[in-house]
Amino acid sequence: MSKFIATSAIRGAQGIVAEADELLQDALQKLGPDTPIAFKDKAGAGTTFYLPVIYGLMGNKVEKLGDLVPVMEHARSLLQPLPREDLWLPYLGETLDAGAATLFAFETIEGIRFTKGEQPEKRKDGFEFNGPISDVQARSWGIQLVDGRMPGFAAIVGAAKSNEVAVKIVRELQSKGQLTFLCADNNGRSMVDQLLEENVDMGYDTYIVPFGSDTTSAIYALGFATVAALSFGGVAPGDFRRILLYNKFRCFAFVLALGPVDDIKYAAAAGAINYGFPVIADTVIPNILPTGITRYEHVVSMPFDDIPGKDDLERAERLVQRCVEVRGIKIKVAKVPIPVAYGPAFEGEVVRRADLAIEFGGKGGMCFEWLRMKDLDDVEDGKIEIVGPDMDTFEEGSKVPMAIVVDVAGRKMQKDFEPVLERQIHHMLNGAEGFSHQGQRDITWIRVHKNAVAKGLTLRHIGDILHTCLHNDFGAIVDKVQITLYSDPGKVAELIDQARAVYKERNARMAGLTDEAVDTYYSCTLCQSFAPNHVCVINPERVGLCGAYGWLDCRASFEINPNGPNQPVLKGRVIDEVLGEWEGVNQFVLEHSNKVIERFTVYSLMDAPMTTCGCCECVMAIIPEANGVMIVSRDDYGMTPSGMTFTTLMATVGGGLQTPGMMGHGKIYIPSKKFIPVEGGIKRLVWMSQNLKEEMAEELKEACEREGVPDLLDQIADGSAVTTVEELLPFLEEKGHPALTMDPII
Amino acid sequence: MPDVEIPIEKWTGKVKEVKLGGGGRKEVVVGGEVTLPFLAFEGSNPNPPRIAIEIHDKEPIAWPASLLAAWGDAVKDPGTWAKKAVEFGAEIICLKLLSAHPEGGNTGAAEAKAVVDKVLSAVDLPLIVLGPGVAEKDNDILPAASDAAKGQRIALGNCEEKNYRTIGAVCLSDGHIAIAKTPLDINLCKQLNIMLSDLGVPADSILMDPDTGALGYGIEYGYSINERLRLAALGGDAMTSFPIINHAGGEVWRQKEAKASEGVPDAWGNPEERGVLFEEITTSTVINAGCDIVVMCHPKAIERVKATIDKLAGK
Ligand code: SF4
Repeated sequence: MSKFIATSAIRGAQGIVAEADELLQDALQKLGPDTPIAFKDKAGAGTTFYLPVIYGLMGNKVEKLGDLVPVMEHARSLLQPLPREDLWLPYLGETLDAGAATLFAFETIEGIRFTKGEQPEKRKDGFEFNGPISDVQARSWGIQLVDGRMPGFAAIVGAAKSNEVAVKIVRELQSKGQLTFLCADNNGRSMVDQLLEENVDMGYDTYIVPFGSDTTSAIYALGFATVAALSFGGVAPGDFRRILLYNKFRCFAFVLALGPVDDIKYAAAAGAINYGFPVIADTVIPNILPTGITRYEHVVSMPFDDIPGKDDLERAERLVQRCVEVRGIKIKVAKVPIPVAYGPAFEGEVVRRADLAIEFGGKGGMCFEWLRMKDLDDVEDGKIEIVGPDMDTFEEGSKVPMAIVVDVAGRKMQKDFEPVLERQIHHMLNGAEGFSHQGQRDITWIRVHKNAVAKGLTLRHIGDILHTCLHNDFGAIVDKVQITLYSDPGKVAELIDQARAVYKERNARMAGLTDEAVDTYYSCTLCQSFAPNHVCVINPERVGLCGAYGWLDCRASFEINPNGPNQPVLKGRVIDEVLGEWEGVNQFVLEHSNKVIERFTVYSLMDAPMTTCGCCECVMAIIPEANGVMIVSRDDYGMTPSGMTFTTLMATVGGGLQTPGMMGHGKIYIPSKKFIPVEGGIKRLVWMSQNLKEEMAEELKEACEREGVPDLLDQIADGSAVTTVEELLPFLEEKGHPALTMDPII
Repeated sequence: MPDVEIPIEKWTGKVKEVKLGGGGRKEVVVGGEVTLPFLAFEGSNPNPPRIAIEIHDKEPIAWPASLLAAWGDAVKDPGTWAKKAVEFGAEIICLKLLSAHPEGGNTGAAEAKAVVDKVLSAVDLPLIVLGPGVAEKDNDILPAASDAAKGQRIALGNCEEKNYRTIGAVCLSDGHIAIAKTPLDINLCKQLNIMLSDLGVPADSILMDPDTGALGYGIEYGYSINERLRLAALGGDAMTSFPIINHAGGEVWRQKEAKASEGVPDAWGNPEERGVLFEEITTSTVINAGCDIVVMCHPKAIERVKATIDKLAGK
């Protein structure tokens, strides 16, 4: 905590508490302790929450002047002496207490003004301030706060640099769904004046509520926050801790201090920080950056004229953007802003040659996508840049090089999530009508339909789709997204080398990401709706059996939805290293399989293998006669040497059963180093579906070489030549398959 | 007869008790089970399954004649309908605000409030109020419905993934019970319960609706999901240990077999008796799986299910 702020806030609190005290004594004398007090807005609508901040934080029901006496006693007890010149302490506790005392004093002062008929405030020129928010309005807004339709509110104190800036700030806030509360002026001028001069409507309907001209009226903002917690947080009056926490986590509010900040405003800021509401100032004041009470920074100074931007309007926009970031507000865009339809219905669309407007990548072309993580300050959210010619200038049917570079930043973003998010680009872009996307990394192939271009689809819209979808689907880890699309051939050629270096690095990282390197695996229970006892345990070297969820995907998914289907599974004490059996894994599987599966090994097919649900890519089964295993893939409808087709095999093992000797798995599990190691790994593979063998030739070859059996692939039978066990054995003998001479598998 | 030792299951968990009504309204407590339904030798479940009767805020358009005939003109007015439901043995009234559906009248918050007021003043039974099931409309009208019944502890629904925050919040604000609805999936059900709890909805204010199909329309899924939830709860899982509400009646009367009176084989028998049997069997099945509140439609089926519950409970 800055000593300067601490000193100012405590000094401010002392002053305002003394003032409140004086006012109270005076009122008690003149009006008497039984004078009733009730908050009402300018239309006369009231509240059942008494003076809400006092009621919420202290539990005291203030109904008459006399009820304020214990409140002021409490406020005084919270005040500490000013920090000494020669002493440097964190001051945080003292400052926050001073902040709380300030809030009690503010509400006391406004309460007394009500008894005197001075609230809601009326200006000489006839303008009426709103005063406190009524219960009816608080309910309607409170609901929206809870369900996220409205992120929170901005309490603005002071006046903006100019009328133009004032209007821009308010419009920016409105566009983000934030409520705007206006309180306090600077030397007689406030944002209320500015908006009045510009004919901006204020009131409940426009989400801009003018509270009053004194800093004390800022208490109505916190009153609203308190009522929200009492009504919708299930918090009891007096449970100040939960009221403050509720607001910290659910009400995305902040204070925007425009113009000079005096002691009282510092004191009020300290009060707001208690609620977890940070303060952003457009003047030079000390920053308080360490996070803790508020979600992120406590006090951020952003001197208006130093904000980068081509004019004041752009600076105003950035200022609001910064406020939103500091408070951690996530903005959701309901609809992808593009001129063609968007939705899952378009994902399978094919763009035929005759309909082709333009293609990026594909055979003989060059197109790649690269998503990279950057620092928060290095990414400008929503910025979409096109480098090179745009869609409408390309010749019909031509092939153009293209690079899609996505920069993301987020406080919870991790480097390891880059490939996870990058792989989603495929799915996101495919949702656009007339747009087909295949492949990934530098084998990306995009085809655009003539109709889409005719409807006005341009390169920019690729950026729009990615920006919207990344925010909507991954808002938990992504705060900012910026996209650059390169169609300038020189640029693409230059960047592709950088991107390839990154892909290589990622591959190396993936290769290094071994089961041994981590202490946590992840679960997936998505399939329990069909297979109630099935749990996929996903380790770095084995994907979920549908092939869709790898270890990193699960980790990201857990980050995004901590209550979701992917939970961390701590390995715990090792029971058998070779089998891959751990206490933690066993316990997790037992608990999540309705207590059905008691043991679970990660490395064996024969001893307590993983259960199989209905959606595996492949099934593996032993062929005892051949002393090996066979693998049939879902897309193979033919007969296999086990005497069963894929479908029959599935009927045997599916539904969440644990069947030694049979197991469902993902395709890319086959070349994994951890492919049934207990049974001898890939050397046991005697038969596989032909399509699988062809599709994965490269990876399989590599795996065979790695295992010291470079010729194995040719020795493995497939459906083209062999479909019975009788045919299989002579085939294996002829080829000299290693499984025949291995230890018996049973 | 040889002596047979009856195996007794020891459960560690218990289903939460949820009280509907109060504030001048009759009270009904559901939940509290310590063992599976009707196993008196294993433990004593404090509250029997309860029957709620479904009424609508407008005349049903899709109900077959056999069902409409049983109610007569009462279906023309929700207040009268609710009174009649009391006569037919309702323990709870389940009011569906169907006219708020964008394609069914698209009425708003004021109308919702008026209907709830009407039903509240017509009968003194506890109330369940359901929106049209379109998230935006639910968010629009349920806060008003909730406000009208403030302090009388109604159950409000359905909370689904898209709107649970809004409904959960108004329940908190007005002291009501949130109904968490998920589509036949134990994990989604649990997840929604966790999210409602995170929102601050207390454990004694949540009902789960894990959904079901009618007999022949996936009742095995309905049975299994109910049973698994209950087994998990009894096994000690707090996030599945809320009482279960089930719309067996509504599921049945949507189906062709309950509706068709012409152009079907003679073997299908009398349409009314067929529908009643259909509802009776579907409802008794989910009760045996552990449901705490069953929402029903036909007075005859209600009478029979009541008798079944009494018999199973040894009365
Ligand atoms: S098969 Fe895939 S979706 Fe199903 S549980 Fe396993 S990882 Fe999850």
